[in-house]
Amino acid sequence: MELKENMILLDQAPATKKEAIRLAGELLVKEGCVDERYIDSMIKRNEDVSTYMGNFIAIPHGTDEGKRFIKKTGISVIQVPLGVDFSNDEQVENLVTVVFGIAGANNEHLELLSQIALYCSDVSNVAKLADATTKAEIINLLKEVG
Amino acid sequence: MDDAKNKTSLKARIQKLGTALSGMVMPNIAAIIAWGLITAIFMAEGWFPNKQIAELIGPMLNYLLPLLIGYVGGRMVYEERGAVVGAIATIGVVVGSQVPMFLGAMIMGPLGGWCIKKLDSIFQDKVRSGLEMIYNNFTSGIMGMLLAIVGVYVVNPVVNTGSMLMGEGVDWIISVHLLPLANIFIEPAKVLFLNNAIGNGILVPLGIQQAASAGKSVLFLLESNPGPGLGVLLAFTFFGKGNAKGSAPGAAFIQFIGGIHEVYFPYILMKPAMFLAVIAGGVTGTFTFQMFGAGLKAAASPGSIIAILAMTPKGSYLGVLAGVVAGAVVSFIIAAIILKHDRSTADEFEAKQQEMAQMKAESKGKETPTNLAPADFSGIKKIIFACDAGMGSSAMGASLLRDKIKKAGITDVSVTNTAVSRLQDEPDLLVVTQVELAERAAQKTPSAVHVQVGNFLNSPRYDEIIARLKTETLINEETGAEPKATTGSELELSNVKEINFIRHDQNIGTSTMAVSLFKDSLHKAGKKVPVKAVRLDELVDSSEHLVIVTKEAKKNLDIRYTNVQVLVVSDLLTDEKLAQIIAGLA
Repeated sequence: MELKENMILLDQAPATKKEAIRLAGELLVKEGCVDERYIDSMIKRNEDVSTYMGNFIAIPHGTDEGKRFIKKTGISVIQVPLGVDFSNDEQVENLVTVVFGIAGANNEHLELLSQIALYCSDVSNVAKLADATTKAEIINLLKEVG
Repeated sequence: MDDAKNKTSLKARIQKLGTALSGMVMPNIAAIIAWGLITAIFMAEGWFPNKQIAELIGPMLNYLLPLLIGYVGGRMVYEERGAVVGAIATIGVVVGSQVPMFLGAMIMGPLGGWCIKKLDSIFQDKVRSGLEMIYNNFTSGIMGMLLAIVGVYVVNPVVNTGSMLMGEGVDWIISVHLLPLANIFIEPAKVLFLNNAIGNGILVPLGIQQAASAGKSVLFLLESNPGPGLGVLLAFTFFGKGNAKGSAPGAAFIQFIGGIHEVYFPYILMKPAMFLAVIAGGVTGTFTFQMFGAGLKAAASPGSIIAILAMTPKGSYLGVLAGVVAGAVVSFIIAAIILKHDRSTADEFEAKQQEMAQMKAESKGKETPTNLAPADFSGIKKIIFACDAGMGSSAMGASLLRDKIKKAGITDVSVTNTAVSRLQDEPDLLVVTQVELAERAAQKTPSAVHVQVGNFLNSPRYDEIIARLKTETLINEETGAEPKATTGSELELSNVKEINFIRHDQNIGTSTMAVSLFKDSLHKAGKKVPVKAVRLDELVDSSEHLVIVTKEAKKNLDIRYTNVQVLVVSDLLTDEKLAQIIAGLA
C-alpha cells in the first residue's frame, strides 16, 4: 500500500494524547478504513500499553479485539509540530511530533510500516517529517527508504 | 556425565511425547464426550434410539474427531498455519479407512505442522513484502495437498494393516485357548479406537457360536469389560493433575455407566505407560471370568455395567462382577503407581525450569540494564517481537531488527512479530517486548530469552542483540572517556540561565524535538536550566541566554542580537557539541 495525501493532516495541535489518537482515528474513519468504534479501541490500547515508539513517534492502533472494526488497511499521518506528550507519567515527557494511526488487516500495512520504522529510526528524519510543510513532502520523505 | 545427560534427555523426550499426545487429545475431549453421549443415548441399542440423530455417530467418529486431533496436532507445532495443514493432511488418512483414524491423525497433524514450518523457515525471509498473503496461502495449500495424498497412499494402508494384524493376533490366541492373553492385543487395539472392529468383528461372532451351544460365552466379556478403563480413570481422579484430574470423574461415569469406553482412551494416549495398566487389568479380568466360568448370554453393547448385567445369565453374576472388579482394581493400582512416579519426575522437571528462570533473573538483576548473560544468546535461531495486538509496534520493531540483522550479515536468525497472546514456547527463541508486556511474555514462553525495550524505534538493545548474536560474547559499548569540552570553551556556560532554540516556519517540528531532547539530557545529567524554543523576534538579548542554532540561522541572529551567547551546531538534535554544553552548564 502507498501513502496518499488524503491520509495526512499537517500542523495539528492536539492538547492531549487522547485527542491526538482521536485525530488519527477520525482520519481512518473518514477514509473508510475503520468503524467509529475502532477509535475507542485505539485509545484503550494506548492506555494498556503505550504506542509511543521513541524518536518522537507514536503509532496508535487498536487492540486485538478492535481488529473486527477494520474495513480495510490504512495508515494515517498526523503531524504535530509543537508536539504532544504521550507519557502516562507526570515525571516523564514522551513528546510526539508525528502520529501514525494504523489499521492493519491481513498484514498489508507491514510494508509501509516497515518503511516508516526504518526511516524514523534516525531522529533527524523524524525532524524532517515534523518540519514538512506540504503533504507531498511527507510522502516523498517516506519514499526515500526503498 | 555424558550418560546421565543422555538419560535425562531421553526422559525429557518421552515426557515431551506424552505431553504432545495429551496436547492433541485433551482439547478435544469435549468433542469425544459429545460423540459418546450421542452414541450412548441415541444409537439403535441406546436408551432412546433415534435413527436420525444416530446418523451423527459415524461421521463424528470417523471425520470430526480425527480432523480435530489433526488440527490441534498441527497447531501445536506451528500455530494456525500448522493447524490447517495438519487438518488437510489428516483427511488423507481418514477417507477410505476401515477404522477411525485417530492414530493416523496423531501422525499427520504434527507432521503437517512440521512440514509447513520447515518450508517457512526456508522461504519466509525471501518473500517480497506485499506477497505474503499469496505465499502463505499457496504454500499451505500445496503442502496440505501433497500430505493428504501421502496419507491416502502410505499412512492409511500402514495403519490399516496394523489393525488387521491386531485382529488376527486375537483370533490366534483364542484358537490356542490362552484366552487371558488375548487382552494383551485387545486393550491397546481398543485404545487406538479399534474396539468395535475387534468386539463386533471377531469376538461377537465367535461368542454367538459358543452361546448357541453352551448358553453363554466369555468372549462377549473380553472387550466390553469396563473394569480396566474404570481403574485408569479412577487413578487419574485421585492421582492425576490439572485438566486430566478434573475431567476424569465425569469420564469414569460416561465409561462405566454409559458404556462409552472411548472416553478413557485419551487418558491412555497422553501417558502411554498406561497401556500396561489396562493390559494388566484386562488380563486379570478375563482370567477371573474364566476361573468362575462366567459368560454372557449375548453381546453387551455398549460396554456399560448395566448392559453387561442385563446380559448375565443367572448364576454368573458373581463371576462377572468379580472379573469387572478385579480388572478395575489391578488397572487402578498400576495406573496409580505410574501416575505417582510420573508426578515426581514432572516436579523435578518443573523445579529445574524454575531454577533456570531464577538464574536468568539473577543474572539480569545484577547487571546494568544493558547487559544480559552472554550464554543466553547462544543458539538463538528465532526472534519474535511481541506486542499487544501484533499489528503495529511489534511489526515496526521486527522490521528494524530484521534490517539490522541483514546488514550485520547474520543469515540464520529469523525475525517475526506477533501478539503476546499468540506466543508459543520453543527452544532457541528470543522474545522482544515492551516493558509493560514483559511479564505476560515470560509466562507464555518460559524457556525463551527475553529482552525488554522501552523504545521500539531507537533502542540500544538492538545493537546489543546483534553484537551478541554475532559473537555471543559481551561487547562493552559504553563510551569511554568524557568528551573534552573544546567547542564550549569560548562560551561562559556558568552564566547561562536559559537555553533557547530558534523556531521558524521551516523547523517547527525540529525545534520542538530539539527542546525535548535537550531537556531530557539535562534532566539525566541532574541539571535544571530552562530550555525554550522561541521565535527569532522573541529572544531576550542577554548574555544569560545561550542560543543554539544552525549555521544558516546564525546569520539572522547576528543581525538582531549582540549580547546573547551563541552555539553553532550542524544538527540541532544529534550534534556532539550539545553533550559538551550540558557537561559545562552549572
